[in-house]
Amino acid sequence: MITVEVSNLTKIYESSYKKRRITALTNFNLSVEEGTVFGLLGPNGAGKTTLVKVLLGIVHPTLGSAKILGQNINNYEIRKRVGYLPENHKFPPYLNGEDVLRYVGKLSGCTNDEINSRIDGLLKLVKMEKWKKTKVKKYSKGMMQRLGLAQALINNPDLIFLDEPTDGVDPIGRKEIRDILLNLKKEGKTIFINSHLLSEVELISDRVAILNNGLLIKEGTVEDLTTNKETYSIKLTDDIDKLWFEDNFKDFHLGNITANSFEVKVSDEKELNLLIDELRKAGKNIKEIVPVKTSLEDMFISLINESDKKKTNE
Amino acid sequence: MNNIIEITKQTIREAFARKIFIMFAGVSSLVLILFAITFAAVGIDDLSGSIQVQSNRDTGIMYEVVGAIKLFIVVPLFGGGLFLSIFSASSFIPNMLEKGNIDVLLSKPISRSQIIFGKFIGGTGVVFVNIAYLVLGIWLLIGLKFSVWDASFLLSIFTITFAFAVLYSLIILIGIISQSSILAMMLSYLIFFILSPILDIRDKIMMLSDSKVLEIVLEGFYYIVPKTSELGTITSNIAVGGGIYDYQPIFTSAVFLILSLALSIIIFSKKDY
Repeated sequence: MITVEVSNLTKIYESSYKKRRITALTNFNLSVEEGTVFGLLGPNGAGKTTLVKVLLGIVHPTLGSAKILGQNINNYEIRKRVGYLPENHKFPPYLNGEDVLRYVGKLSGCTNDEINSRIDGLLKLVKMEKWKKTKVKKYSKGMMQRLGLAQALINNPDLIFLDEPTDGVDPIGRKEIRDILLNLKKEGKTIFINSHLLSEVELISDRVAILNNGLLIKEGTVEDLTTNKETYSIKLTDDIDKLWFEDNFKDFHLGNITANSFEVKVSDEKELNLLIDELRKAGKNIKEIVPVKTSLEDMFISLINESDKKKTNE
Repeated sequence: MNNIIEITKQTIREAFARKIFIMFAGVSSLVLILFAITFAAVGIDDLSGSIQVQSNRDTGIMYEVVGAIKLFIVVPLFGGGLFLSIFSASSFIPNMLEKGNIDVLLSKPISRSQIIFGKFIGGTGVVFVNIAYLVLGIWLLIGLKFSVWDASFLLSIFTITFAFAVLYSLIILIGIISQSSILAMMLSYLIFFILSPILDIRDKIMMLSDSKVLEIVLEGFYYIVPKTSELGTITSNIAVGGGIYDYQPIFTSAVFLILSLALSIIIFSKKDY
């Protein structure tokens, strides 16, 4: 089942006062499957937060439509099944941690019994049980983030939007938050994450989308995006004579050659098979052939640079 | 309805988190204690100029004393109470609209009109409770001391609260448009202390000038601007047992309140946060 469905969504911020138009999203299409972790990546100002805000009714779309949990986003009742952790969230400073969960729970349509049964468990989950009665104005950034995650879960949502969930959290806390999210995924929740921390998104996301200047540049599984299908690393059983190798395989685009392995860039599978044939003919025993993977970060930077270049040329 | 109640409760909490409403209640308590001590220490004869309440004339004097006490409470309550209430309530909307705060609120299953209603009822409710506490307390003390149980005096609770509600609707509108508590407060004070009193005496101003334009402008503004000055006069009149002498200021101010709230909801519903 599709949990988030975005069709031809465009958002233009217009300021009649300053006569400025900022296009935050352009003809954006996206779908997120139920029970998956979806990571939305992009540089600052790419339109990531705008997309989430449109889906939650905080910002109105200029064109296009969107559905969450099968319902049009204009139906605010559907948000009873949605949790949200905004970036740089604030809670009334006169409330303590428990009060915040109670307040947000009530606004989310939970009954008192539901809230009472969840508060302690959630505070324990985010390791904030000791600070339950402390006013939030005394909380550190990391503590606010943990409480923010707890409030996003108070209504036991089916769909959770998290905008920079580990912002201000120490490395141990980040790991804990990652584990919480992975457990939520196991429970069948759909998680939508906006983050700058690519390595973290890489660790927990099933699918990612890359956004730049309001445009969707690429979307796919982390595996798809980080696997370079044109470049392979080939490991042989014996050591390689580099000079002989370069001379005999000069028709192929060879890359880094080490003691018993080398990288090669091929145009298609046919060329790869031709290389294998040549290696066998030369009496070389192949130990393994693996596609070369790039990190999500490398792939992200290269895509953003490409997209920016394209935009400049236009 | 639950959503409105929740926002109302939160607004009341926010109001009490600001020390001004607590101070308001504290001053009211002090006034009540002072009156209780005075009433206990001083006899009716002393209070009514050493005239024993034996004849109708003496009863009349006693009623005048009671009226004076009520005015002593109601007039500063209308001016000072509303001044403090406006000061405290002016930041309710800008605080709510702060980035990070509004995101959490709007992401919940609650309509934007419910948020406005909740804020309005919460703010007005706090002022109502504060005013009711003092007026009801004085009414009880006067009743116990003078055996004068004039229930119409209690109407002043509603007229003072209504005057606040009208200004508060403007505070909400300005808060939604500008997100500035200072601007909302300044405009409210401008109406409360300057515009409304001036427009209340527009007949006298027009006597000083033959200008038709001035007359049209003053008359036009008179019907647009909330009539807090006249609401104050009505409140004083109620205090001395005169009742509501004119419903027009109440009616036109109520129209202003409704229009301000409606406009606030329309603008709030269309805005991106």
